[in-house]
Amino acid sequence: MKKIYPKLPLIFTVIIFGFLLYFLTQDKNPSNPPSALLNKQMPKFESNDLIDENYQISGEKFYGKKIIINFFASWCSPCKVEHPLLIEIANNHSDVLMIGVNHKDKKDDAMNFLESGNPYDQIALDKDGKIAMEFGVYGLPETFIINEKGIIVFAYVGPITNKIYEKKIKRLLSN
Amino acid sequence: MLYTGQILILIAILNNFLNVFLFFFLKKNSNFIKQIFITSSRLNALLILLAFLFLIFLYVSSDFRNLNVFFNSHSDKPLIYKISGVWGNHEGSLLLWILIMSVYNFVFSLNKSLDENLKNMTIFFQTIMTTSFILFMLLTSNPFIINFSNPNEGLGLNPVLQDPALAIHPPLLYIGYVGFSLVLSLAVSGMLTNKINTAWIKTTKQYSIFCWAMLTLGITVGSYWAYYELGWGGWWFWDPVENVSLMPWLTGLALIHSLQIINNNSYIKNWVIFLSILCFSLSLLGTFIVRSGVLMSVHAFASDSHRGMFILIIFFLITGFSFLVFLIKPDNTQRNPQSLVFNKYSTLIINNIVMTVACFTILLGTIYPIILESINNQRITVGAPYFNSTVIPIVLPGLLLMAIAPALSWKKNRINDFKYYLYIFFALLIICIVIYFLSNYNPWGIIGIAVGLWVLFPSIIQLIKIIVKKDIAKNKIPGLTSHIGMGILILGVTISSVWQKETINNLKIGEEILLENYSIKLKNVKEEVKNNYIRMMGNFKIFENNVEIGEIYSEKRYYPVSQTVTTEAGIMHKFDKDIYIVIGENISDNEWLIKIYFNPFVSFIWLGALITVLGGIISLRKI
Amino acid sequence: MKKKLKDYFQISFFITLIIISSNFVIAKKNDTLNKDFDEITKMLRCMSCQNLNVYESDTDFSKQIKKEVFDQLKLNKSKEEIVDFMVERYGEYIVLKPRFDGKNLILWLSPFVLIISALLIIIGKMRKNS
Repeated sequence: MKKIYPKLPLIFTVIIFGFLLYFLTQDKNPSNPPSALLNKQMPKFESNDLIDENYQISGEKFYGKKIIINFFASWCSPCKVEHPLLIEIANNHSDVLMIGVNHKDKKDDAMNFLESGNPYDQIALDKDGKIAMEFGVYGLPETFIINEKGIIVFAYVGPITNKIYEKKIKRLLSN
Repeated sequence: MLYTGQILILIAILNNFLNVFLFFFLKKNSNFIKQIFITSSRLNALLILLAFLFLIFLYVSSDFRNLNVFFNSHSDKPLIYKISGVWGNHEGSLLLWILIMSVYNFVFSLNKSLDENLKNMTIFFQTIMTTSFILFMLLTSNPFIINFSNPNEGLGLNPVLQDPALAIHPPLLYIGYVGFSLVLSLAVSGMLTNKINTAWIKTTKQYSIFCWAMLTLGITVGSYWAYYELGWGGWWFWDPVENVSLMPWLTGLALIHSLQIINNNSYIKNWVIFLSILCFSLSLLGTFIVRSGVLMSVHAFASDSHRGMFILIIFFLITGFSFLVFLIKPDNTQRNPQSLVFNKYSTLIINNIVMTVACFTILLGTIYPIILESINNQRITVGAPYFNSTVIPIVLPGLLLMAIAPALSWKKNRINDFKYYLYIFFALLIICIVIYFLSNYNPWGIIGIAVGLWVLFPSIIQLIKIIVKKDIAKNKIPGLTSHIGMGILILGVTISSVWQKETINNLKIGEEILLENYSIKLKNVKEEVKNNYIRMMGNFKIFENNVEIGEIYSEKRYYPVSQTVTTEAGIMHKFDKDIYIVIGENISDNEWLIKIYFNPFVSFIWLGALITVLGGIISLRKI
Repeated sequence: MKKKLKDYFQISFFITLIIISSNFVIAKKNDTLNKDFDEITKMLRCMSCQNLNVYESDTDFSKQIKKEVFDQLKLNKSKEEIVDFMVERYGEYIVLKPRFDGKNLILWLSPFVLIISALLIIIGKMRKNS
């Protein structure tokens, strides 16, 4: 019993070192916690389409399909950064539905924003931020991938980059 | 000319390699090698100092051909912030860290009381640690990299850092943190040379008390800065970076106290060695947390995982090695275990337990999110409520003993003298808690005030007795002074947090608002263009019982270069409270969102902390 | 010496007592109308800030959360329900005080287990010796 005490500090040091080392090599971003909705059912939402105002978008319609949901707004500058990549993704994976969620925005501004190209198949309107709250979105842009069973398999806060696309998104979208 | 810094650093590295190499050839009779060994360890401090001065020179002359100056300075900046900008960024602050480490080694090399082998080995370890940090700086964060594009203007310094408190806060903290490296070197060499004797204790005492006092001062300045700069009305937020500074502070506190026991008893030596190692290990861990970006914090440096990896490895090597020595070569000198009764000895042990567990709790709370996320990829927040509801109850028993401990004798059991008071005190606490559950009272206010007074009065009375009677117990003066400071601090902390009043109002220019017997009038809001920022300054008139007692200026600053906004809270210090005003959004043309806090007795916090530091400083003269 | 030691502890004890009793008069907990609102928003973290609660911050995120909390309180939802609602969407990261459950057991219990067991051992030894 008495012999264990002098060993404790060393054991603790190794444990703490191990965890910190593991965490550091995981390439985690301290400002982006993993989404709470990962591996959970996609929340329900309903809205009119931004372009065709009579068209009703509803989350339930997408069951059985693989979709990307991307939250964006014209006032959000990182959204502009990822926009070209989104267009590229939409072109590369034409079988996947890309749903935009236009967050707290004006219609004219949003239309202007999309003039340079529109990657979205449908665009839901989120004027009061309720859809964003259902998805646990706290900063724009945020991107989700939802599989055929309606389960969220990927969530990413911030502009998606080529690296993220190559490493994670591509694989999830193609198989 | 531009390469001066690089060259100085490279010479320093070569010199340190020589130093480490020479250590293995130190023989008892070879005075010549010994001379070179000591000289080279001092030369290192000189070289680093020159490099540091050179960097200051680059900053002052706004030489943007240096990449570090380019990123962190701007020619519009006032001179003092050009200088403090040197340690306002990761690279420069690392150089400051190394400088302080080297200066400690230099000062230590002047020591004459220690055994020669012990002294040389301590210098040897200190040099190795310094060199590993120099290598870290050179490989991952060199402040002397040349900027080949030769721009005319720099990118400016983070505006939050343009503040007088920030000019002295990091140096003070580092003098504390880094000083513990010497305590660690001393502990490891003491074990390896088997020379843990009175001279060792005396030297360790000097360094650890000095470091601890500086750390206290640094933390105090930091919390005062957070108080007026962040504009949240508070002064301590349990932010990871604050926690990280509190951990070595707590273990340092335990170390100082256990060094008191070691004088009278040798049983506790291994514990002292353990704490000596722990203090610097926690400083290193803290450095890792601040600089690697694994946690989010208000004060973190720009982060980079390579740097994190490097510091983590330095942490592991130094801590692992020290604890390994601790495991293999613990102190085995004679032991005469003292009987644990209600005496000074046992109260100091309880103090140590309390401080260590409090430190463990803060460490756990700080890194628990990392551990949990590594295991199940889920992130939680361990915020202020956790620390308030764990750390405070844990330190309570230690605080209760603070009043009595200095009056106790070393050996004699005094439980009978105090039993009565202790019972009543605990009964009172229980009553407070019961009342809390049955009614609407906040128990912390009562408990805090009771504990604060409990610490304050006996300490003052004992101190007066010693001074008036010219008692022999003069060596108690520093301790009692620090305890008085802590008593004042506890009172300040309790009263200001429990009885803080906060109101949020919309005020138009010329309108006034009534709060208790004060009325606060928004006189005007001015916009002004200053040297390197634009400020929006609200001018408030304060009336107490309808008599004007002064004005408060509360500012929002906008720094165009970095496009950031900072808050400068307007504060009026009165003896019994601070009136603290933050100017917020502009709601309409002449209407503003104004937050007003009444922080009662908040200045007691800093006053108390300063008195505590004073206690530490006086004790240095006595050793 | 022994007697005098007793004296000043007596003095300080009574001063303490007087001040404590006077505090009972003023030490009332804050009970404004918006107490629940304040308490909930102080419990939630502003996810887009660095280390700040929703109550103190004015970002878009915090405004949205404040509005939602306010609306839900109007619908007579309890504090727990509202916090659960937030955790379900934003994850446990949003609560500043970690929940007391299986995975946080070590976090909550180990400090108290440590301090209590250590103090019990010391007090036990003291009793045995005296």
